[in-house]
Amino acid sequence: MTELEEKLKAKIPGADTGIEVKRSICAICSPSHHCGLNCYVKDGTIIRVEGDPDHPYSHGKLCTKGSATRSYVYRKDRIRTPMRRIGERGEGKFEPISWDEAYQLIAQGLNRVKTEYSPHSVAFFSGYSKWYRPIYQRFAHVFGSVNFGTDDSVCAVAMKMGDNLTTGGGAAPDMAHSNTFLGWNFDGYYSEHLSIEGVQKLKARGGKVIIIDIRKTPAAKNLADIFLQIRPGTDGALALGMAKLIIDNGWADMDYVERYTYGFDQYKELAGQYPLEKVSEITGLRAEDIYEAAKVFATNGPACTNFSASALVHRINGFNTHRSIVCLMALTGNYDRVGGNYPVPATYLRQPAGFSTRDELFRNERYPKDGPERIGAQRFPLWESSFNEFQAMDLLRTLEEGTPYPVKAIFALGMNAKMFPETERLLEAMKEHLDFFVDVDVFMTRAAAYADIVLPACTSVERSELKCYRGGYLYYTRPVIEPLYESKSDVDILCELAKAMDLDDDLLKSGYEACLDWMIEGCGITMAELKESGRPMLVPTAKWPVKPGSCLENGFRTPTGKIEFYATAVAAIDPKYGLDPLPSYRDSLEDQNDPDTKADYPFYLCTGARVAYSIHSRSQRTPWLRSMCPVPTCEINQEDARRLDIANGDQVTISSPYGSIRMRAHVTGKTLAGVVLAQHGYTEANVNSLLGRDHLDPYTGFPGYKGMRCNISKYEGG
Amino acid sequence: MKYVFTFDEDRCSACGACRMGCIDQNDIDIESGESCFRRTYEDEIELKDGGLYCVYLSAACMHCENAPCIDACPAGCIKKDQETGFTVYDNTNCIGCKSCALACPFGAPVFRKSDGKMVKCDGCNIRVKNGLKPACVRACSFGALDCVAEADFNASEGGKACSQLLKNLGLQKYS
Repeated sequence: MTELEEKLKAKIPGADTGIEVKRSICAICSPSHHCGLNCYVKDGTIIRVEGDPDHPYSHGKLCTKGSATRSYVYRKDRIRTPMRRIGERGEGKFEPISWDEAYQLIAQGLNRVKTEYSPHSVAFFSGYSKWYRPIYQRFAHVFGSVNFGTDDSVCAVAMKMGDNLTTGGGAAPDMAHSNTFLGWNFDGYYSEHLSIEGVQKLKARGGKVIIIDIRKTPAAKNLADIFLQIRPGTDGALALGMAKLIIDNGWADMDYVERYTYGFDQYKELAGQYPLEKVSEITGLRAEDIYEAAKVFATNGPACTNFSASALVHRINGFNTHRSIVCLMALTGNYDRVGGNYPVPATYLRQPAGFSTRDELFRNERYPKDGPERIGAQRFPLWESSFNEFQAMDLLRTLEEGTPYPVKAIFALGMNAKMFPETERLLEAMKEHLDFFVDVDVFMTRAAAYADIVLPACTSVERSELKCYRGGYLYYTRPVIEPLYESKSDVDILCELAKAMDLDDDLLKSGYEACLDWMIEGCGITMAELKESGRPMLVPTAKWPVKPGSCLENGFRTPTGKIEFYATAVAAIDPKYGLDPLPSYRDSLEDQNDPDTKADYPFYLCTGARVAYSIHSRSQRTPWLRSMCPVPTCEINQEDARRLDIANGDQVTISSPYGSIRMRAHVTGKTLAGVVLAQHGYTEANVNSLLGRDHLDPYTGFPGYKGMRCNISKYEGG
Repeated sequence: MKYVFTFDEDRCSACGACRMGCIDQNDIDIESGESCFRRTYEDEIELKDGGLYCVYLSAACMHCENAPCIDACPAGCIKKDQETGFTVYDNTNCIGCKSCALACPFGAPVFRKSDGKMVKCDGCNIRVKNGLKPACVRACSFGALDCVAEADFNASEGGKACSQLLKNLGLQKYS
């Protein structure tokens, strides 16, 4: 082999090999991250990907999923052209059509429902990702519909609602100045990989780490000084029990409590109902371990915590569980203080970067006046008053019952049917009740198979998009390759459709970049400059780092101006809904505890616990990632397995009152007895089909993905 | 300059990012059932006291000083790179006899069905010679896997061994 041949084989970038390193971002996971990519490109094709060392947020790091970008981008099931359905809904038979034809058909279909019913009978829905949402939400409202909803109906917003109603906003851990990290359901090895370094540094300088989780994780092994393997669903009881210990032992920061909080007496009374022995019994933890954790957390100087976006709020008691943890930060005077957690206001796409943009105004300023309530408003009034989207967990009921008004069309970007409880029933309802359904996606999905029109979207490396990053950065990415096949960027699809439909909005019709110019106006940098640079740029108006103490000085953005142990916004909801303004605890299986259900379904089923090589359904069919775990798998404790004669690798049936699925058993000591942990997102073993459509947190509408009843048995079939 | 791979078990979670880096770099055809040169392991060991030890590991060719695969190969495909010290190969003459795999205590060389030849990790030899880190190291977010100059490794390992000894004795250094 010649030297050049060797270099070509080894993919060494350079003029001699013709391999160029182009920069982009990975958008496979949550917009809080989106790490920088160095794509090695040869002849218009990506041949290798690694982290971009010059990226100001990710500093060259990529997780397992991001490292598999090439496998994701070049997946064989990419949608290649716009398509029109020619078979039955769900059958997956389509014929290619042109973009112009697709836009005309979509305009006709949506306008017909608008005329025959009302604009609100068109539901605009989005799964991942979130980068295009200001454009999309405005599109929905300009079309005339109040009904814009997204995966936020099950992702992070329950946590944000808890933050907003308690303290006025979210708060980041001040890891660099903290003595103790309370990692509540924290496993940065599997999710948020960039968070690990901060914890490693805290440990290296002698800080203490407390990990609370339902399974033995790499974080528990590598990072924890104290590890509490808690019985799933009981975190709220633990938080209240810790509060009682902190109050009783004089570890609370009473000066802080008196100056900055509201409703302490009622909170103290609530916590008083959770003495140590009772909490030990509920949580399955040893009393001395709870005591030790509470003591270290409250007395070892400044303490911070992570606020988990999904792990705790995916239970029907999730909202108050999250609130009870926020309250612990207030009780110990760790909120908005150095070394604790402090508010970091959102900049763009609800991510913090230390400056202001107008994306929320862009989303909301065309909200239809005098429209009806959104989907789900009557069932989830706290959601309705707290968040500007419809609660998608009421979509199935609305389709079936047609009340308070019918939904007759869905226009979706990346709709993931498997996100919905009783998935098959939702698809059936869509098949039966919808006059028109459009789905835009990168890959052919279960939901897309039901669409009348399917449009191909491209991935992050094939488009430009605007992102902000901590540190005061704005970044307008450049495509590293042309969009594959006939795919387009989601925002181009929306803006072109706005033109084709002649929507009453010059901004949308003038395209993505013009909209961005409008949104970032006044921040001190323009789209022209960002385009020219092609790199993350420091925004002149950015103030970073954000400093703790602003709320202590100026008041909290709550109705009382204080941190509310007693949430006045919850108290304002009609009492008929039975919502408690205090962060009270209730059983996470409360609606499934009748004796028959208990006897038939004695196991606690938890889905969606993170693994490193998967995020929801979108990576399950990415070949490199799938090779890490080729078969849909659930974890079961070794004692249970022994009793049920289940060996490692056996096929098992997991059943609930709503159906059953087949998975491979991974017999383990990492999971507690009585618990089944099932991976989600598999089409052939969709665990969310086991979840009842009404098993929802009444405060937020969030489903109890991580807490429902099931049974498990060895599969006896062939 | 000679190089060595280092692995810190306390930082590993068997997340598989190193595997993805390896697949990406070496164009391993996973869909056709080809094996990645680097593997990750997740295992559980029940301890005598009833506790559980969770094992997270990442392993590939160890690039042994006296690599048995070199002598085992009847076609003379495998050799040491004099510059980097990696165990490299040219499988043009490989007859697919698997002797190298049998000789390897770690099972590093694997048989590739598509061309009937043996393949293995070469330490990303050419990348390293061009000043780049091996693909697996580049993909590790947690500092578990690294590739360092042998001289630096030898200098630092003394300190590491000392720290480990102190840790095992339950002692802590003043920081």
